Formats: sequence, structure tokens, C-alpha cells
Amino acid sequence: MTAPRADEDALLRCADEPIAIPGAVQPHGALLAVTEPDLAVVVASANAEELLGRSGGTLDQYLDDADAARLREALDGDLAEANPIRVQVAGAEVDLVLHRADGLLVSEWEPVAGAEQAGAAWHRRLPTVLQRLSATATLDELTEVLARDVRTLTGFDRVMVYRFDEAWNGEVVAEDRREDLEPFLGLRYPASDIPAQARALYTSNWMRIIPDAGYQRVPLDPPANPLTGRPLDLSGSILRSVSPVHLEYLANMGVVSSMSVSLIDRGRLWGLISCHHYAGPHRPSYPDRVAAEFLGRTASLLLPTLLAAGETDGLVEVARRTAELTAAVGRTPRALATALTDQDVTVLDLLPATGAAVRLGGQLRLLGTTPPAERVVPLVRALLDAGATATDAASRVVPEAADLAATASGVLAVPVGGEDFLAWFRPETLREVTWGGNPYQSKTAQTDDGPRLSPRRSFAAWSETVRETSRPWREHEVAAARSLAGHLAAATLSRAEEDNRLAGALQRTLLLEELPKVPGVALAARYRPSEDDVVGGDWYDLVPLPGGRVSIVLGDVAGHGLAAAAVTAQLRHALRAHLLRAAGPAAALDGLNEVIGALLPGEMATVVVAELDPESGEVVVASAGHLPVLHAGAGGAEYVLDGRGPALGVLDAPAYGETRLALAGDDRLLLFSDGLVERVATGLAAGLDALRDAVAAGPADPQELLDEVLGALNPPSTDDVTLLGVART
Amino acid sequence: MLFDVARTTVAGRPALTVRGELDLATAPHLAAAAEPLLQAAGDALVVDLSHTRFLDSSGARTLMILARRAREAGAELHVLVPRTNRPVRLPIDLLDLGAAVPVVASASEIGTVVARKDAGT
Repeated sequence: MTAPRADEDALLRCADEPIAIPGAVQPHGALLAVTEPDLAVVVASANAEELLGRSGGTLDQYLDDADAARLREALDGDLAEANPIRVQVAGAEVDLVLHRADGLLVSEWEPVAGAEQAGAAWHRRLPTVLQRLSATATLDELTEVLARDVRTLTGFDRVMVYRFDEAWNGEVVAEDRREDLEPFLGLRYPASDIPAQARALYTSNWMRIIPDAGYQRVPLDPPANPLTGRPLDLSGSILRSVSPVHLEYLANMGVVSSMSVSLIDRGRLWGLISCHHYAGPHRPSYPDRVAAEFLGRTASLLLPTLLAAGETDGLVEVARRTAELTAAVGRTPRALATALTDQDVTVLDLLPATGAAVRLGGQLRLLGTTPPAERVVPLVRALLDAGATATDAASRVVPEAADLAATASGVLAVPVGGEDFLAWFRPETLREVTWGGNPYQSKTAQTDDGPRLSPRRSFAAWSETVRETSRPWREHEVAAARSLAGHLAAATLSRAEEDNRLAGALQRTLLLEELPKVPGVALAARYRPSEDDVVGGDWYDLVPLPGGRVSIVLGDVAGHGLAAAAVTAQLRHALRAHLLRAAGPAAALDGLNEVIGALLPGEMATVVVAELDPESGEVVVASAGHLPVLHAGAGGAEYVLDGRGPALGVLDAPAYGETRLALAGDDRLLLFSDGLVERVATGLAAGLDALRDAVAAGPADPQELLDEVLGALNPPSTDDVTLLGVART
Repeated sequence: MLFDVARTTVAGRPALTVRGELDLATAPHLAAAAEPLLQAAGDALVVDLSHTRFLDSSGARTLMILARRAREAGAELHVLVPRTNRPVRLPIDLLDLGAAVPVVASASEIGTVVARKDAGT
């Protein structure tokens, strides 16, 4: 699951490397460590004599009288304030920088010649730069200003602002660069690029510079501080020689010169201003470096406010969305899924996610980028069963979901009641993150001291294989999801109670209290509601027509429950009106189809109409997607297969057909709903055959016939069953 | 549950192959599986019922709803049922599903239906 890590041993060795006591300095200056108060030189860099024209002795012997006096004055005060003391050495200007370490006064001598200088103009503009920094309202603005102004000041080819994440991986969040350079903005660097002991050093020493990464290290003589017997602590030094691993790393990137300034948020290393130069060696003057460090320190002071603002932004935004969606749910308690998925603000907007799923009343709706519909329910169910409401690595909880990592490495799921839920999805970070180079390809090289890290050769962007892991869900996001689910569950519950009451009332209006008496016609009806639902979509009707004819209707609206019952009631009345007016059953169905298209878009129903003339026994049959009627007579029973058309609400203008038959003597006509004949075990054909046999062998009286048919077919109680029997008297 | 719907390809078109029983309990799964395919604005979708062993009126209704959804989305929907699959073919014929959506008996007919339709309009 995880790519092989670089050799742990080598990493540890790197972390052990004594970077604070390298026993050497870089050659762009000389170091003299002296005892106080006699200022006797006890440790010197090997280049001191060459640069300063002499060796040994005391510090004041290296300076003319005036400079020696300024040195003595500085030693009485705060060294940081005195730095640098610009002195003359052998006719050249040198910046003298002082600090104390290991009981010694450490003096570092950096020639001004060869250093780049931003010049007085820049330093005069410093108040403007500071104002620009403090006027930034967001972290992005702050880091952009910082990168731009540090580059203007120091003249590096590229200035980046890195930000560390929880695991110390770095991301380039701002960049200012020479135009011809490839952008590094958005690249990420693995934690191993800046080892723990380096991060510790950067927290106390804000500034590092390597003017020429190809330098030859200059050893200290003697190697050990005579006061301690150990190498001199150079953690506060400006000339400190850096780890050879780091130099190799820079060389691999083509970096000739580099500088970095720490960004520290409340005592913790937050990031770095990292400067690269490619054209050749580059050394901003000491005063310019101090100015850059000052910008870094100022930005560090601004960090807590801007970070807090960023955190709050997320919180406020999510809270606002929660309120909006909760209000939408309150406004349309009868269309919860619509309220959550079809409005301007959807569940996907509630929190940062790439996909969302809403399952309400068993219906699943998907928004954005999600796993395939058929995978969503099992995945969410498995996570909820495992008690994993929010996970940034779903495959660790549900291994079979590993192939869904591209859409659902991260899943936040909250139950809404029963089998319903809300869920949000995030892709694996691989999709979102580019790393600078492959952090797992650090090659280990054998040295005399054992394996040592050799930084990777390629710095081309490489996608980190933090496989099957997404950006983590934040606490307030999970809370918002739970809150919305709570509101939905409450809305669903109150709706269900109300539905039961209403549906019961509606059902009673759909079923005829008593069959109307039609001269010359014997009618029987049976209705058996499903046990699963309060009310189904079946309905039947008898409509006496002018001139003694009668229409016998049996229909079935798609769906169950209150919504289906309401549609059923409307269709029943609309069909009555059309039957009374239209030329025949087919024309009435055409009219009813128009009603659905115009007034009930999206609804669907099947219905069969048999119009009987009791006088002549003529029957006209028209069906809209309904199972055929059964005609039983002396010669047996047959299904009426003509006069059929598609279900209502499917086509705009289907033009229904109708068929005629004669109901003679003891003939009977049977209309029925699908619940009577559909069986999973035996199939529809067997059900239809059984019904035909039962009717053919059954009694002539419709009432007795229906009881016999129900007894013979014994339909399951999972669906509504409606039966109508018609005979002439 | 004797039901499964899988994303497949029939006659070069995106398809949903339904196995087992397509009834009141399982039809919503087919509808849910079809929805993203229709939303993806594909211009064709095949519902393959070759391996479906039971279809009730709820399943048939779902097919009709899909036909309507496909028409709204500007997609061409075909339902594939071999003539030998009697338990599924019967309700489709009885409920006149063919009036709402092209029902074909083999994958090779899908191209034919399109051609005929093009020629006729």
C-alpha cells in the first residue's frame, strides 16, 4: 500500500549529523573565536591569516585604533544591535559580526567586496514594504508580498515561501522568480528534505546563506574549543559550513547559491523563505540579509492573525451553508431530496468535497464526482456499520473499496434514519498533490560511516503515492454533516406520521363504499392492500354513462404511499370526466395522457377501461400499459390482447387503440392488477395461466368468482391486489 | 438478493446489464445506476436484460421512466431482451413497453433500429 521508504538507517544517520558543530566554515569570510575579556584568539578558521593578514594574538590587534574602540564599545552593549561593525582590514571594508557561544566571543569577518548590495534606496523604502506586509488580509497575500519583496531586496533568481504541513512535508505557497525559470509554485517537498535537526536549528537561527554551493570547507584550528574540549558550536554563526548532503542536494537542483529565512508561528517553525540562485555564486550583503530576516520576522508576527482568520473563514462558511440547507429542508419538508440536491445551494456545497450522495426514502441522488451509484450504498453502509463516520482512507476500513480511491478515498457519512444517509466524498490526495521529486527515491550511498542519504537526482514533479488517502475531514465539517442529518431525520419522522394519517384518509376516498347499481350488470370488486404500505397506487371505478352504458376502470399509479395516492385521486377524477365526454375508452385515455403531461409531469400510471353496453353485451376495451383483461365464456377463458398502448405519462401523444368483444350469456370479464399474477418464483406467465384456469372453471356469479380466484391464486401480501368481475344479468 | 446491475458495453454503447430479478425491490437500483450515465450526457444507453430472470410491472415501469429520462436527456435508450427470455419478454409485450422504448432481441439489431429511425424521419 505504501511505497518503500528510503532506508530508515540512512535517514537516522542524516538526522544524527552534527550540523551545529561541523568544525568548519564557508570561505566567504573568516572566523576568530576569542576568550573574554583578553580577546585572545583560541580558535581560528584556516583562511583567517589569508583574509585578515595575520594570525593568533588578540582581536584588537586585527583592527586599527578607531575600529578597536568601536569593538570595545560594542562588547559592552547588545551584540545584535552592534552588528555589523564595518571595519577596515588591509585597506578593504569588512563587516564584523559578533555573537557568543560555548563561553567564547565568536567574531566573523565578511569582506564587503564581492557582496551584492540592494543599496540605500531599498532601505529607505523599508517602511513602505512593512506597511504592505501588515496590510495583507490573507495568508496568500502575505506570502506573495514576502516572496516579491525579499527577491527585490536580495536579487536571488527565485524566492519561494514554503509552508510545512503536520508531517513536516513542505509546500511552495508563494513564489517570485526570474521569468525564464520553471515555476515551483504548488510543488511539495518531503519532510526528509529538511531533517529534524535542521528544523530545530532553524527555529533558533533565522537566517542561513550559502553564497557558493561549490565551496571548499575551511576547517577550524584547533578543531576543539579549548574551553569545552568539543567542536565549537556554530549554530549562531553566519559562516557555518553546511552538511555535504545538503550541498549535494542543491547541486542536483542546479542551485549555485541559496539562502533561507525561517518563518516561525508562536515558537513553531511554520515555513521558510527559500531563495535560489542559478546563474552563479550570489552573496547579498550582511545588511541586506538582516533586512530580509527582518521581513521574515515581521511576517512571522503577522502569521497567527492570518492563520486564525483562515480557520474561521472555513468555520463561518460551513455554518452558513448548514443554515441555508436546514432552511431549505424546513421550507420543503415534502421534497427533502430536491431541497438538498436541486437548489442553488446543494449538500455538495456544505463543505469542501468533490462528490456527495443523498439517500432519502430509499432513493439515491448523486452530486459531483462519486463512485458509481451501485457502489455508493454498499460502501457507505459498510463504513457506517464499522462506525467510521469520517475517514480519509476508506479502503483501510473497507478493503474492497480500494478501487474507488480516485473518487472516494475520503468518505464522510451520516445516517438519516433507517437505511437513508448523507455522504460526502474526497479523492485520494494523489490527485491533488504534486511533490517536488520522488521522496521515496532518495538513494543511499555507501560511505565509510555506513549508508548516507544521497538526495534524488531529479526534481521533476512527482506524484506522491500517499495512496488511497484523502485530505482529512475537519471537526467542524463532521459536526455540520451531523447537524444537517439530524434536521433531515426530524423532518422525515414528522412527515411519516402525517403521511400515515393522510394516506389512510385518502385511501378511503379511493375505494368505493358501495358499488353503484347499474341496471343489467352484475359487478363485484375486491381490494387487498399490501401489508408493506399504508396505501398503494391501485384504483378502480365504475362510471355510468349516458345512454345506459357503463365504464369499468382499473388502474395503477407508479409508486406507493401518500404521493401515489394523491396522484391516483386526481387521475381517477380526470378519467371520469374524460369518459363522460369522450367518444370511447381510447379517446378518454388520450385525454388522460394529456392531463398527466400537462398537470402531473413525471407521473406514470397504467389503466384499463372496459365500456359495457348492458343491452347488447358489446364491450369496448382500451389499455394503457396495463395487463390484459380476461374474457371467460362457455368456450373457456382468453386474454384480450388487442387495444393496447403504452402506460400513461410515457409518450406525449400515444394515440391509444381499442378493441371490441361481445359479452354473451354467462360470459364474465375480469380486470385485475399486477399484484394478482406476478410471482418471483414462477414468473408472470405461470400467474396468468393459473388465473385463466381458475376463471374458466369458476362460478358464473362475479362475487363468488372473485372469492374463488383469490383463493386459488393466493397472491402474496407484498403488493396491492385489485380485482373486478363483470357479468350481464 | 438475487440482483446485480453492472456497467458494461453492448454494441459499442454504454450499457447496464441487469442480473436476477428486476422488481419492486430492485428496480430503484437500476434507476440509480442509470442516472449518472444519463446525466453524463451520453447519447446512447442500453439496458441489457439478457440475464434478467424476472421482470414485474414495477421493473417495467422503471424501464419506461428511464425511457422518458433518456428522451429528456437527448439520449437514445434501447432495451435488449432475447426472445428466448420468455419471463421477461412477456411482461414487456403485455405492457406494450415497445411503444415507449425500442426493445431489441439482439445486440446486432441496435444499429438496425437506429438506421431505420433515421431513414424514416
